[in-house]
Amino acid sequence: MSQVQVLKSLEGVLESFLEKVVILKEERLSVLEGINRLDDIARTSEEGFDVTDKVGDWFAEHNQWINEQVLRQGDVDRINGILGEIKNQINKTPEVSPAARKISSEINRWSDSDLTKTTPEKTEPSKQKIVLKRRPEESPTLTEPTLLDFSRVLMNCDIMLKRLSDKKLHILSVLDEALNKANLQKDKQALILSAFIIYYLKQNAYKVEPYVKRLKEAERLFKEVK
Amino acid sequence: MLNTSEKAYCLALLALKHKDYRAAVEQFDKAAPDFKNDREFNLYRESTRLLLAVKQEVEMIEDEDRLEIEEAFPNG
Repeated sequence: MSQVQVLKSLEGVLESFLEKVVILKEERLSVLEGINRLDDIARTSEEGFDVTDKVGDWFAEHNQWINEQVLRQGDVDRINGILGEIKNQINKTPEVSPAARKISSEINRWSDSDLTKTTPEKTEPSKQKIVLKRRPEESPTLTEPTLLDFSRVLMNCDIMLKRLSDKKLHILSVLDEALNKANLQKDKQALILSAFIIYYLKQNAYKVEPYVKRLKEAERLFKEVK
Repeated sequence: MLNTSEKAYCLALLALKHKDYRAAVEQFDKAAPDFKNDREFNLYRESTRLLLAVKQEVEMIEDEDRLEIEEAFPNG
């Protein structure tokens, strides 16, 4: 296994582990996100801004929490505390608008709901376990290129060149087809042949820049597949 | 209200949800003063830090590979 392969494998394991953490905590995350947003609203309110609409939106979005048992006692206490602070800020204003009065009564309704009587035993989620799994160790297969391997590559390139040059008049057409094959089929042989042809053309003063770009792109795709 | 560390822990988990690992590490660092003895927190924090380091290393190696091609065709 090359260094990149080992790193990519580790990257995959870690990413998959963190994805599972997120899935496992999905419900808690949604609660925390809601509490965090309410906390942001309370801070804005403390700075003297009108947060009536924002609190209204928050209630509209999270009212279902009253019926669904997703909150722990700690969450309920937190929410009540934050709502209490918002209510205090609303009451501080000399003229309370009808919308603000409505929000204030909504806060009271929330505080009086059964939600506040939730017990920790009822809502505490069961302990779940995340297991970090990885594939069994594999002994690296050594593929040290030998002279024989290289000679085979040259031979296969020759065969491919003959096949691709069938009915073609110019080497550029062959190169075009080899690059297409490398790009679309992620064919290593076609990639090597393309590189040979490009180098050959470059030695003969052809402008090879566009072909080099295509070769790099084909190589990138080939590496992704590998 | 939530204290700074609680808020940061919450934002770190949300960043993980959005696969923004760099932001997650930053928020975990902010949350660390109050959670450094929490095993679960440390597991998530260290896993995310390791993942970020691995991603940077892979990126660096791939950049080196790209340079090799450019050297092979200096005027290409």
